[in-house]
Amino acid sequence: MTFATMLSTMAEGMLKTFLIFTLTLVGSLPLGMIVALLRKSRFAVVRGFIRGYISIIRGTPLMLQLLVWYFGPYYLFGINIGGWRFPAIIVGFVVNYAAYFAEIYRGGIESIPVGQYEAAEVLGYTKTQTFMRIILPQVIKIIMPSVTNEVITLVKDTSLAFTLAYQEVFSLAKQIAASQTSFMPFVIAGVFYFVANYIVEIAMNRIEKSMDYYK
Amino acid sequence: MILEMNNIEKHFGELEVLKDISFGVDSGEVVSIIGPSGSGKSTLLRCATFLETIDGGEIIYMGEKAAHTDANGNAVYVSHQEMRKFRKYCGLVFQQFNLFPHYSILKNIIDAPMHVQQISKDEAEATAMELLGKMGIADKANAYPYQLSGGQQQRVAIARALAMKPEILFFDEPTSALDPELTGEVLKVIRQLAEEKMTMVVVTHEMPFAKAVSNRVLFMDGGVIVEQGDPRDVFDNPKEERTKQFLRVFER
Repeated sequence: MTFATMLSTMAEGMLKTFLIFTLTLVGSLPLGMIVALLRKSRFAVVRGFIRGYISIIRGTPLMLQLLVWYFGPYYLFGINIGGWRFPAIIVGFVVNYAAYFAEIYRGGIESIPVGQYEAAEVLGYTKTQTFMRIILPQVIKIIMPSVTNEVITLVKDTSLAFTLAYQEVFSLAKQIAASQTSFMPFVIAGVFYFVANYIVEIAMNRIEKSMDYYK
Repeated sequence: MILEMNNIEKHFGELEVLKDISFGVDSGEVVSIIGPSGSGKSTLLRCATFLETIDGGEIIYMGEKAAHTDANGNAVYVSHQEMRKFRKYCGLVFQQFNLFPHYSILKNIIDAPMHVQQISKDEAEATAMELLGKMGIADKANAYPYQLSGGQQQRVAIARALAMKPEILFFDEPTSALDPELTGEVLKVIRQLAEEKMTMVVVTHEMPFAKAVSNRVLFMDGGVIVEQGDPRDVFDNPKEERTKQFLRVFER
């Protein structure tokens, strides 16, 4: 197998990796916010449920969670879902990352001084307006470095999809390396992850810079 | 009467912070509240501006009841919807300014008029620029709060409160977080508002200011109003022993 064929075979895997990455972010960034807000719900049952969810997600390996999402429906409920492999991966990643993002959001929300809420309340802002106009913009600035960390981890975590035999970059690299007895696929995969994260770094830096106009 | 607070009770757990407090503020009047820390001054202000809920008594703005005690002895507030009207009557200036750091000075002032009172941007900006001019910081309209001195920030906070056109403006120790040299510029603005007959209630430790500017002084201690009256009487001839004791500290 020439280098060019290797590269073009792996390019498909890169596309799939990118798909996992994008869908996970699109799902978990907003879901994390909902989870963070529910964690402060006035209903104790809801708060307890959310705390349990975060605790379990953070306390078990993502690899195991992916297996549970994929095989769980059959082994637990005897249901066979056709074409469940890819959805199971996305659900597993989204549910996992939402828990981490929720904790980052919570930290950000709790670091906003109470005076900001009081000033908004006295000025007559509704609760929603206060959150959307006053609190959230400040939270986003505060949490940006932690979110960057998480996004970089996600780029690398996508490789866990190999657990469910999904043909993303890492799975392909392993297969090709074995069949061709070549080290090259690992080098290609390594460069791919590094370049992807380099782009993430630059993009996140830009976003952080754009919020530098205030302190 | 702009505001009447009758028989106000407030406790935090076991601690009684306000014990049967009654006072009123007439239109154009400037009332100073003085007293040691922990006397309930700030809590009274926070109850008047609805940041805290009272446990008993009644709050009346412009002759309309915002809260009263029902037959069971519980304080009852008007509905959420009606509350908006009462919030509009009062403005509050905080000790820590509490400007919105992510908004420019101008946006700090126009955002609430635009999004709470649905006033047009042009109108809100015109009002804001006029207020900033009055505060002597029109050139700071496009700056951000962190770029301003404490005294300037507090003047922005005053402008922000005034932009909502409140009937009465409350100040919670407006100069306590400021250097002595910045205190003067904020007090000057409040004095100017007093001359324009803005109705104000000021919690302060600035005794000369309270004496010079207010029409009435309330001395609070231990959750009650110990003494109140014309500032000259309260400051120069206090009747109560507790008042004398408190004022003596400031003479030193």
